[in-house]
This record gives sequence, structure tokens and C-alpha cells, in this order.
Amino acid sequence: MFYVSVFFQYMGQYMKTKLQYRADLFVEFISDLMFQAVNLIFILVIFGHTSLLHGWTRDEMIFIYGFFLVPFALFGAFFNIWDFNERYIVRGELDRVLTRPVHSLFQIVLERMELESLLGGVTGIIIMMYAGSRLHLELHWYDLFVFILFVVGGMLVYAGVFISLATVSFWSDARSSIMPMMYNISNYGRYPIDIYNRVIRYVLTWVLPFAFVGVYPSAYFLGKKEWYIYSFLTPVVGIVFFVLAVFLWNAGVKRYRGAGN
Amino acid sequence: MVNAIEVEKLRKEFKSYSSRSGLMGAFRDLFTRNYKTIRAVNDISFTVKQGEMVGYIGENGAGKSTTIKMLTGILTPTSGKVLVNGMNPHKERETFVQTIGVVFGQRSQLWWDIAVQESFRLLKKVYRVSDQDYKEHMGHVIETLDIGPLLDKPVRKLSLGQRMRCELAAALIHNPPLLFLDEPTIGLDVLVKLKIREFLKEINQKYNTTILLTTHDISDIEALCERVIMLDEGKIIYDGSLQHLKENWGEGKQIQFTFSKEVTDGELGALTSDLQVEWRKGEQANSWVAHVAPASISDVINRVVTRYEIQDINIHEIATEEIIRNIYEEGAVHG
Repeated sequence: MFYVSVFFQYMGQYMKTKLQYRADLFVEFISDLMFQAVNLIFILVIFGHTSLLHGWTRDEMIFIYGFFLVPFALFGAFFNIWDFNERYIVRGELDRVLTRPVHSLFQIVLERMELESLLGGVTGIIIMMYAGSRLHLELHWYDLFVFILFVVGGMLVYAGVFISLATVSFWSDARSSIMPMMYNISNYGRYPIDIYNRVIRYVLTWVLPFAFVGVYPSAYFLGKKEWYIYSFLTPVVGIVFFVLAVFLWNAGVKRYRGAGN
Repeated sequence: MVNAIEVEKLRKEFKSYSSRSGLMGAFRDLFTRNYKTIRAVNDISFTVKQGEMVGYIGENGAGKSTTIKMLTGILTPTSGKVLVNGMNPHKERETFVQTIGVVFGQRSQLWWDIAVQESFRLLKKVYRVSDQDYKEHMGHVIETLDIGPLLDKPVRKLSLGQRMRCELAAALIHNPPLLFLDEPTIGLDVLVKLKIREFLKEINQKYNTTILLTTHDISDIEALCERVIMLDEGKIIYDGSLQHLKENWGEGKQIQFTFSKEVTDGELGALTSDLQVEWRKGEQANSWVAHVAPASISDVINRVVTRYEIQDINIHEIATEEIIRNIYEEGAVHG
């Protein structure tokens, strides 16, 4: 409860800061919108050339992409801590975080919040609606809740992997270059998983489970019964990876050496 | 009275590797590294009682900041026992930090982009301070530190002195019984320094707040602390009252003579060889400083004045800075 109210306090503060710079906010909003539009056109062009891929139709693939954008947007808004090493370890900002009576990871999530990323989620939903209507998908009342569950699961998968990566900074001083590579790998999750060979499929399911951000949960909405088990594993995998990441984090904080001053 | 801080055989070691020189060295570093263990804090023990104001001093790299970071729960000790406000700082970090306030002079605790009062509001929420407590306590703090007019300005637009006063107020939002100040007056002008000192004295009297303070400005310590803990290379070399330190080390006076002609060390030494005097060259031309025991003051002045032509004489108390410099040069405190 306390954490929820702290969350809203920070969020209010965030909005206030953003509103202070009106022109900046406007420009940012427009550029985000343009970025999303370009993204959308790009997908349509790409998928315009393929009609069937390993038994997946063009519209199904567009749907998967649309779904993927939603948890990805949530991740971008709250867990995008790619600059953790530089900001908090090298510059020693973690000192300040550690002198406050709130869990350190939670504080960093709040400080690095970027709510404008949520716009990407809106694009994702539009894409899903477009693809869904062409596929004549049937929806039930409970699908909304399943959708929310899967989106949160997907976000936690992303968050888990990237938080774990950030904790590497506690053990090694060097700035790691794994982050950009991981962004690339994460993109594989937005394509149908069975187009890859067995090893990659295994990796994307159990090691770096990015398939749980795109393909698996989408399969449920697309009515692909053979994937249902995986679909419903989404929240489980999300929670497992996230909890693991938090454990790693807590162990890492104990090893924090601080920056000299 | 309960002890605010209890430290026993506290030690912190850092492992660092020294890189070899040159390109070949860098290649060799890839495979085998020369690890070195550095003991930043070496088995120190001390206790601080509730309500004490203690100065924690030492040269750069003596281990002051490392100690403070262990006491505040930021760093985990390598070994030894730390008990602050009855808790182990690192183990129960989130409950523990509720009972301390921290100011790092070189690092801001406030949010850069937002107005000071917004920072305060966030902190009030984070520390779960009730509206009534906030109004009562902070109203007073804001008034004493004279930061009322700064509250609606973003932190990045404040001057260093203004920011520092706000930092201090921010550290006191939850009215903690223990306050850590790491170089709180660094780079501040005299007026702001005085204001901050006055304020610290006041909260110490009013709330019996324990204050542990590190600084390079000895006048801070003289103004505030009865007790100093002196650190050198990770070890405590002195722990006791400032008064005691002065009596043992700063006895006697410094007499500065400015001669009208050039004088050598040997001549002065020969002149006062039977007295307790130490001569040192002064900063100006033809000036010499005599470090004299109280019993010999009149003799020294008498002999020098009758023998040489003098332009100026000054008699000083030995400054604390001087005492501390002497101690560091000798490496330990005896007596």
C-alpha cells in the first residue's frame, strides 16, 4: 500500500516536471507519434512481401507484432534502466538511493520512469485491432483479463532479463556492452517461434524467454491450440524471471563498493 | 544513556587490480590480473553516545567516507561489528535509514529538476512523515535556515550555499536522532558556514540529535565538536576531546619576528640554545617563527630584541590546524 502511494507521488512529480517544459513536451509528443507511425508503415511494408511463413499468415504476424509492442512499451516506461551502470554505479548515485527507506530497485524504477513510452502500447493496440479485424478473431469477455495477465507477464520477462543484466555492474566495474545485444535478441520474440531452429527456439523459451513477450501469448488470441500451454505459462515465466532478478539485485547491492569521492 | 553508534573492530577491504603499463601489459591484464587488497578501514572501534557531536577527521583517503558509508548502510563491512541506533545498518537497511539523516556535501540528495518544496514533498512521503509533524518541525527548520524564498525554485538554479542549506533541511525531514554530515561546509562562504553551524548546534540542543561530521575545515570542528576522532590510513590515531589535544600538543606560543636584516638559522639557534625553542623560517623575507614553551617566552623575546634590529613581532596561539599537521607528520598521538 505504501509503495503504491509512493508510486503515485513520483508519477505526479514526473508529470509536473514534464508539464513545466511545454514546448519540449509538445515536440516530444509529436516525434513519438511520428516514430510510431513510421514503425507501423514499416511493418506493413515488410509483411507486404510475405503472405505465408511456416503456416503463419501475414495478418497473424502483424498481430503478434502488435501484441509485442504493448508489454514492450510498459517495460520501456518502467524498467528501462540501460544506463544503470553509468548513472548509479560510476557516478555513485546509488549512495543516495541506499540512504532512503524504500527498496533500492523500486526507487530506481521510479526515478527512471519514462511514461511517454506508453504511446508505443497504443500503437500496438491499434495494430492488433487492425490485424484482428482482418482475421475475424472472436473475443470473449474474459479475454480482456487474459490480455492484461499476458501483457504483465511479458513485461516481467523483459524486466527480469534487463534487471539481471544491470546487476552485472555490481560485480564488474567495466561497462558492459551486453545491453544493445540483448535488445537485438529480444526482437526475435516478435516473430513466430517455429521459424527458428531448435536451439534458438529453446533459448528463446527457457534461457532468454523473449518468446513469452510476443509469439506465445499472441497464439492464445489467434486460437492456435497447440501453443496454449506456452501461452498460459507467460505469467509464470514472467514472475519466475522477475523474482530471480530481484534476488540477484539484492545480492548485488551487498557487493556495492560505492564511488570514491 | 544508550549509545547511538557502537563500532567494534570494523574493517573494510577493497580488492582492486593494478594494471600493467603499455599495450603488452594490457594484453597480459586480460588473462591474469594483479589483485591487491586494500584495507580502507582497519579494525577501528569507537562508540558515540546519544547527543554527542563528534568530528571525524583525517586526510583524503584516510577512510572517513568509507566509515560513514558503512555506518549508513551503503557499504557492507568486510568484518567487525556495527550497531547504529541499535540496528545493523546493512541488514535492516530500510527500517534503519528511517532513523538517520545523511548529507553528502559533494553529492546532491535533492532532485535536480524540480522545485525544492517538491523534493521535500517526495521525501516526506518516502519517510512517511505526517502532515502535522512536517508542518511543526519543518516550519521551524525552514525558518532557521532561511530557505523560505528558495522553496519554489528548482535545485539546479540555486547557488552552492543555498543548495547546501536545502540539503540540510531535506536530511532533517523525518527529524532523525542521528545525523551524518560528510563535508557539509565544503566550498561555502563564511556567512553560510556560520549559519549552518549555528543551526546544527540548535538542533543538537533542542532534539539531543547526535551528529557525526567529517570535514577538512578545522574551524567547523572547533565551533561544534567537543570530541574528535582522528583517522590515518584506516586506523584511529586519536580519539578524545579537542581541548586535550590542544593542551598536549598546542602548549606554548608562536612568536613571529620580522628582522630588518638577514638572519640565519644557526645564529638564532646559538642565541637561544639553552631555552625550549624551535625556529622555523616564516613565509615572508627575513621572518622567523619561534615555537616557544610558556616558561621561555620572555627570555626569547628579550634576547632576540636586544641582539637584532626588529621590524615586527607577533605572538600567536598555536592553531589547531598546526597541531593536526604535526600529528600527521609524526603519525601517532602520544600522550
